[in-house]
Amino acid sequence: MNQFHDIHTPIAPNNLYWVTVIPQGALTVSADGRRATLAMRDVPVVDQPRWPARDTPTVPARLSFRVEWVATEEPVTYDDPLRQFRFTGWRASARLEAQVEVPSEGFRWQSDPLNTSSASFGIIGEEVNGRYFQL
Amino acid sequence: MNGDPRNIKRDAWRSWSFERRDFLLAGLGMAAAGAATLWLADPVTAATDITGTGLTQEFETAAKPALAGLTALAAEDVQNGGAAPFPIPWLDKNGSFNQAPGADQEPSNIFHFKGRVARANGFTGMGTDNRGRRIPFGTITTDYSFMQGEYWAGRTERRGAFTHT
Repeated sequence: MNQFHDIHTPIAPNNLYWVTVIPQGALTVSADGRRATLAMRDVPVVDQPRWPARDTPTVPARLSFRVEWVATEEPVTYDDPLRQFRFTGWRASARLEAQVEVPSEGFRWQSDPLNTSSASFGIIGEEVNGRYFQL
Repeated sequence: MNGDPRNIKRDAWRSWSFERRDFLLAGLGMAAAGAATLWLADPVTAATDITGTGLTQEFETAAKPALAGLTALAAEDVQNGGAAPFPIPWLDKNGSFNQAPGADQEPSNIFHFKGRVARANGFTGMGTDNRGRRIPFGTITTDYSFMQGEYWAGRTERRGAFTHT
């Protein structure tokens, strides 16, 4: 079995790792903070089929996706003074549906519906880190 | 496989013909794979530059639109250092400012942050390409997150929403 597409945001020059800006309206969080949906369309990304090899071929790609997090009844607290972060929330189930397009290869792919996917780990909640950890 | 995910990755690339059992092992054991990692049973000739010539230019061309949002933030309020968020500094020990989600792990991908956050990994599922081929996606490190709230950059507090994809 071969990995033949690896679709992700590139690492930024300041070392932010696969981080991109969420546009207005793409993220919906319930008032109680227990459910969230992130849906973005035609996000410019890269396809690096041989990732994580260094100096790997890279081509432009587009990614549309929807991720849903739903809190379980299991509370979670991480409090790490050494690394300066505190998280309070819940374990969560998470699901993903996505579409990928790699124009240079004429390749398009669409996942099955959201409810057919699964995730092995998820959390949702609130966090402070860095300078806000001490405030 | 010796438990070092980098070696698992290398092992996977050495073999062009895995049995299904091996695929499951590889799919569960791969590290540092992407937001949508797609797998195919038959060998595929991916775009390859054997000499390495032009790979940097190729990357820069491909990455430019993908980094446009962060680039715009970095160019904003530049006299104070820009408005792009900081990576988690102590993750530099990993050499990549990244780590897989998990219990007791830092959920956020940005530092000096206060707000809502969610993270998940190990996404798996199936899909279909434009040739009708059924292709699975995902590995244990296929992860998504969001951070929405306040963050400190360029010597002031800002509001924003970011995702790790």
